Amino acid sequence: MKEKHRKKRRDPYRLLLSAVMLFYFLGFFMLGIKDGNWESFLLSLVVPAIIFVGTAGIPKLFPADKLLLSLTNFLCALGVLVLYRLSPQRGLSQAFNYGVGVGCMVLCTLVVRYWRHWKWATPLMMGASFFLLMLPLAIGTEKNGAQSWISLGGMSMQPSEIVKLALALSVSYLLSRRRVVLSILFAGVCLLILMLQKDLGTALLYYGVTLILLYAATGNKPLIGAGLLGGAGAAVVGYQMFAHVKRRVAIWLDPWADPSGAGYQIVQSLIAMVNGGVWGVGLGLGNASVIPEYYNDFIFSVILHEFGLIFGLIVLCMYMFIVIRGSMIARRSRTVFHALLAIGCTGLLALQTFVIIGGNIKLIPLTGVTLPFISYGGTSMVSSLCVIGLLQGVASRNEAGVDEDRALAMQGGELE
Amino acid sequence: MKQIRKNIGRLALMLCMLFVLLAAYGAYSIITQGNRWFSSSANTYVRSKKKNVIAGDILDANGVLLATTAEGERVYAENEAVRKAAVHMVGDSASNVNNGAESFFSSYLYGFQQSFLERLSFAVKGQPRMGDTVQLTLDSRLAAYVASIFPQGKTGAVVVVNYETGKLLTSQSFPNFDPMNITVEVKRDSQKPFFNRATQGLYAPGSTFKIVTAASALQNMQDATARAFQCTGQLQLGERLITDAGTDLTAGKITQHGQLTLLRAFQVSCNNTFANLALTIGDENLKKTSESFGFNDNFLFRDLVVENSSYPTENRNDGEIAWTGAGQSALTASPLHMCMITAAVANDGVMMEPRILEKVTAANGTVRTEFVPRIYKKPLTQAHAELLTEYMRAVVTGGTGTAAGISGVKVCGKTGSAEIDTQENTNAWFVGFLDEGDSPYALAIVVEDAGGGGSVAAPIAQKIFSWLLQNNPVN
Repeated sequence: MKEKHRKKRRDPYRLLLSAVMLFYFLGFFMLGIKDGNWESFLLSLVVPAIIFVGTAGIPKLFPADKLLLSLTNFLCALGVLVLYRLSPQRGLSQAFNYGVGVGCMVLCTLVVRYWRHWKWATPLMMGASFFLLMLPLAIGTEKNGAQSWISLGGMSMQPSEIVKLALALSVSYLLSRRRVVLSILFAGVCLLILMLQKDLGTALLYYGVTLILLYAATGNKPLIGAGLLGGAGAAVVGYQMFAHVKRRVAIWLDPWADPSGAGYQIVQSLIAMVNGGVWGVGLGLGNASVIPEYYNDFIFSVILHEFGLIFGLIVLCMYMFIVIRGSMIARRSRTVFHALLAIGCTGLLALQTFVIIGGNIKLIPLTGVTLPFISYGGTSMVSSLCVIGLLQGVASRNEAGVDEDRALAMQGGELE
Repeated sequence: MKQIRKNIGRLALMLCMLFVLLAAYGAYSIITQGNRWFSSSANTYVRSKKKNVIAGDILDANGVLLATTAEGERVYAENEAVRKAAVHMVGDSASNVNNGAESFFSSYLYGFQQSFLERLSFAVKGQPRMGDTVQLTLDSRLAAYVASIFPQGKTGAVVVVNYETGKLLTSQSFPNFDPMNITVEVKRDSQKPFFNRATQGLYAPGSTFKIVTAASALQNMQDATARAFQCTGQLQLGERLITDAGTDLTAGKITQHGQLTLLRAFQVSCNNTFANLALTIGDENLKKTSESFGFNDNFLFRDLVVENSSYPTENRNDGEIAWTGAGQSALTASPLHMCMITAAVANDGVMMEPRILEKVTAANGTVRTEFVPRIYKKPLTQAHAELLTEYMRAVVTGGTGTAAGISGVKVCGKTGSAEIDTQENTNAWFVGFLDEGDSPYALAIVVEDAGGGGSVAAPIAQKIFSWLLQNNPVN
């Protein structure tokens, strides 16, 4: 009994978890004192509780990557904290999204861990993907120049966020079966539909992930070269065809040409960044709500503003650790399908983070994708956590015995 | 599977590089442009925080008070002449002037650089927070003097710099205005008194650009100093006809210099020779030399916001290239940049970064930051700089710039009379420097729509040089 107790205390994850929980307890508690709002005090208990369940509880159910869990939960809770500080109503709803997301994450993990019948599930997923992606074109609403949202019973959602998961799963499966042409066709059609929706940020993401998967599976350099050329061609065509793409590129090149008009978003994002300085202006003390879409596209600028550049760098490192961890999981997997799935999920998160933060700091033109785990929105939160769930599923399979792989091999899976 | 693992390893490295790129680009852009964003008028956060702080003083190099806060109001120099002369450098409380010290150094003036401990000590003592005191490199006496001799009613700019350190002694734009009394007439004035012509005004440099063309000739033509050039007075290139000052085709009058050396061509500012030079050197080489002097560069100086100068890259036919050699075509540069080019010749070919911030002192007396000279570019070798100094000396001793001469003093310079289509008269330019170790000063003067550089701008230069020699400024 005593022996066990000592072992628990030596576990570094418990220390990390306590620190993270304390961070959020204090964060919400201080906001509560500042605004005298009982909801803050409630959240100061609820958020650490979700973190505890999400980080310490899940590994009790099945083998999971604890570092990945800690990082993910930290980032999700950071989103809730920052959103709550900017708009309590959004913060509460994000806390709810977070809870739902954790549930979905567990579900995805279980699916990857126990589901074997990808052979007939894949065509189903592909069909569903087409259907879901077409929906916004039929009944969708236009937002920021892109027609990628649909409303269902008062709730609005972005199907492309969910199809992302299906894309990673199907392309990985097809490539593991060496169906290269079919996988390219599938991804190509998805891309085309996204172009029709004018949702170029997401299209860029799909394109990047497909290329990553193709490279990982085949290592075929001429093929990747052709893919890159095709992408560049599509970018030129997109630039010529869509006025809002031209506008965004012009704003990116010189936002200061019209700092109170077209360039306003980027200019305010850059200004918020430097106003924060190295240590930030302090939680709750900034004025980041002058940035349009501060709760969504520009939430990273808000974090830099209130928490400072050092903290921003730490957040960036956290994303990078997720990527490193994801790649490690991919390298350790025992089947091609799982290796591809893991690197695909890792690529999705890495590219999405790069595209939106790069847009915030004017490294690349701004595209309307969300910052994984942090940006406001149910679909985005759920899909990001599902991606982590898929990764966890692969991790959990890596931990499981070799027997299961044998069983898989009997059913047509592939061994090393 | 082994191959896939290898591929995954490579992909992981690539994905991580994306994050390194984000951090590196973020750091780079904040270091080079952070203060520009911070001091921008679009920054509402700073505006809202300014109320909590008593803004610090702005002093000139001699300690003369240029701006201070009295009873919550911003007050500028006591002497009205100084107030007006320094307004484009100091700025005004309503930020009518872009990027004056008042806004560009607001992170110091409004205490944004104060550490947590400093803020705490104000709170403990129960005092309101005091911003830092900012000392500029300017000499307000010189500024007032320059304003008193600049042609009345004319627009233009004057920049004086210490070429060894890069410190600006003055940088003025005309017309100026009184920051304590901004009237409706000032706001409506068609001459735009708020506009800082010295740093933001883009002018055709005219013949002052021949310094760069001559430098390019020295760099690219082995026999440049020995060669004999032929000036026929007229040079027809496609649709463009290149002539020299004094030529009036309708009256049948043509200025012709005949056979001459590079020194002589520079001295009399022969367009014909410099046009031919540009064609001989070639557009690429001339562009390269210009860029080594800062053309087409994105100026990101630490203390100053200077509009970028440009060497034209479009529609380059022989006529355009030839006119570029003589400083016309679509070339543009600010007076401050032309002053830097002159200063580089004076300083043995080393161009210093222009600076205006002398010292920042915190309210408790500690020095927060202090002037450190920094080299911006090295466009010339010492030998070429000495040759160009000789040429510029010849302009003042027996060329177009004799009006700038002072007996017994080595004054060097170059005149310019830039033609502007919309104006009746040319813009009068003079750039020059004192080749005297104790008075290392370079200047650039432009008077718009005023006439020839030798007759209008050179006499102003002569007066400023005399003042500098008599009054020994601290910088």
